[in-house]
Amino acid sequence: MSRQAATDIESAIAELARNKLSLERDLHPSLRLAEDLGLDSIQLLTLATEVEDHFRVRLDEADEISIETVGDLIAVVEQKLGS
Amino acid sequence: MVPETLIDLLRQAHRYHDTGLRFLDRREAETFHSWAELAETASEVAGSLIAVGIRPGQRVALIYPTEVAFFHAFFGILLAGAVPVPLYPPARLGRLEEYHRRTAAMVQASGAELILTSATVRRLLGRTIELADPPLGCLTLSELPRSAPAEAQPTKDDLALVQFSSGTTVDPKPVALSHRAILAQVDMLNGNWPKTGPVQHSGVSWLPLYHDMGLIGCIFPALERPGTLTLIGPEVFVTRPAIWLRAISRFRATISVAPNFAYGLCVEKIEDREIEGIDLGSWLVALNGAEPVAPAVLRQFLQRFEPYGFRPEALTPVYGLSEATLAVTFSDLDQLFRSETFDRTQLASEDRAVATSDGLELASVGRPLPGVTLRIVDEQGVELENDRVGRVLVRSPALMDGYLGRTEATRATFREGWLDTGDLGFLHEGELYLTSRAKDVVILRGRNHSPAEIEQAIDRVPGARIGCSVAVSRQPENGPTEQLLLFVEHRREAPEEQVRKLPEECRAAVVAATGLRADEVVVLSPGTLPRTSSGKLRRREALTLHLRGKLQPPRAVTPLLLAGAMAKSSLTLWRHKVRKKRRPARRRDSDR
Repeated sequence: MSRQAATDIESAIAELARNKLSLERDLHPSLRLAEDLGLDSIQLLTLATEVEDHFRVRLDEADEISIETVGDLIAVVEQKLGS
Repeated sequence: MVPETLIDLLRQAHRYHDTGLRFLDRREAETFHSWAELAETASEVAGSLIAVGIRPGQRVALIYPTEVAFFHAFFGILLAGAVPVPLYPPARLGRLEEYHRRTAAMVQASGAELILTSATVRRLLGRTIELADPPLGCLTLSELPRSAPAEAQPTKDDLALVQFSSGTTVDPKPVALSHRAILAQVDMLNGNWPKTGPVQHSGVSWLPLYHDMGLIGCIFPALERPGTLTLIGPEVFVTRPAIWLRAISRFRATISVAPNFAYGLCVEKIEDREIEGIDLGSWLVALNGAEPVAPAVLRQFLQRFEPYGFRPEALTPVYGLSEATLAVTFSDLDQLFRSETFDRTQLASEDRAVATSDGLELASVGRPLPGVTLRIVDEQGVELENDRVGRVLVRSPALMDGYLGRTEATRATFREGWLDTGDLGFLHEGELYLTSRAKDVVILRGRNHSPAEIEQAIDRVPGARIGCSVAVSRQPENGPTEQLLLFVEHRREAPEEQVRKLPEECRAAVVAATGLRADEVVVLSPGTLPRTSSGKLRRREALTLHLRGKLQPPRAVTPLLLAGAMAKSSLTLWRHKVRKKRRPARRRDSDR
């Protein structure tokens, strides 16, 4: 599988956030999912599931523990797709 | 022999090879485990638990997602004669600091000797285990030594299960349930389903297993009947609610339970293409409980899903609480749900329910289950007549023994054998209607949260006055779920910029700490929130004042006001005179 660029992943995640979480604001890698974007536990769960389904990856506990910002999420997806 | 304990139910289960639990994953692939198989594995787990030192009556916490290992552990703990304490696993992508503190507080409050969990969950539990520090640590089932199967012989009055009414770091209250109470509850539920002739009842549940409605309301009745129950993970339902309805159709389920928000979520999220060809006609009982029932949401659900065969009379609002094991009232199973509109002013200011054509619409949660009695009392404990709003007290064979190790809290909850539910409501034509709560609890999506925990998160926000904020939830009229409101006093010396940012900062702090999003943040001047004479915040009163537009800051003390206060007596006299002249007495009375 060819390595998908971080910017593509970012725009795909932004689209998921818009369509599935009705999140209106722009995503920037430095924004924190809970504190800055205000995602509650159900939205975080939805985001995790949608990201898994969209990219056909599986985020495990070890990945999730390190995800705090949009950038962290992009990095994990990028690494999963690359491996 | 009539089963008297959960062990008796498990002993019977060794014969049940055709019924059991069916697990559906998010791809809707199924795995079936018969009750016989579950009971057998559990008795092996029981032997192993005894081998590691677990003794009868000791508590064992278990932290699992919805998967078969939960049942091996749960029934295994019971068969060892010990007491399971189901706790919830961490949420996905959530910040874990608060989770660790909360879970550790619950492990400690229950006095658990050991935590059982799965290998994947344990990777996230490090800090919880450190904080809770149970004597026998944290183990997975595969780490237990192999040992001969065991089966304990508890009596019906022994402690069977500890459940928490809300997950909280502040003052967690472990609800202690005896075998007798649980079996009485199972009896009430299984005795109550409609007779279906040759059709065997079966259920579908996506409710979490650490929740009274998921565990006691779904698992035990299925085990006792016996019937087959299809389980879906709560996270699967929340992200793909169509899977719930598809499972009901696919397995011809007759009973399925959910809080009000779930019915709203189905209306909001499910698309036609996801449920093409499903038939909900088998669904006889769609219980709606664990949070306030909104009639408008039920009507939307009907409108949306009647074309798919959903039976209008299936919708059944119910009421219960974990202190009563689970269920207290059920509405009629074979009738359309009942709702009435009541005069708002009479309800709010007179505590009186007067039916009118234009007012606040409330859903009836029905009548007490067989063996249960209700009383509505005033603040002095005097029983009120019909249509008068008061505290709801319950007597039932399924009441808890008390809060484990919490004599004071237990004493405060029981009044001469009656359980004080902390809920407010009235009886109208023999049926219970709930209006609000006297107890401080925030109920969001069917789960109870302690307001203190939310308020603690606000305390850490710069510019917020420490210990001077209040979290309350309220059911907006006919909204799908309760909304979270925060009232926050700013610090007197906080710069304007900080005060302006308070709503945003408080929202962020609360969502990060608790995973809950506040629907409204109201910033108040210092000293605005109502308090008791001993200085404790009065949360419900704050909400009531806010809704009436009367949550006003105390007037600042200015030299002018001081002068006014000094002249108070003469001023009052003067005012009286003016009023008497200007306004007729009767009008003044109605103004009050």
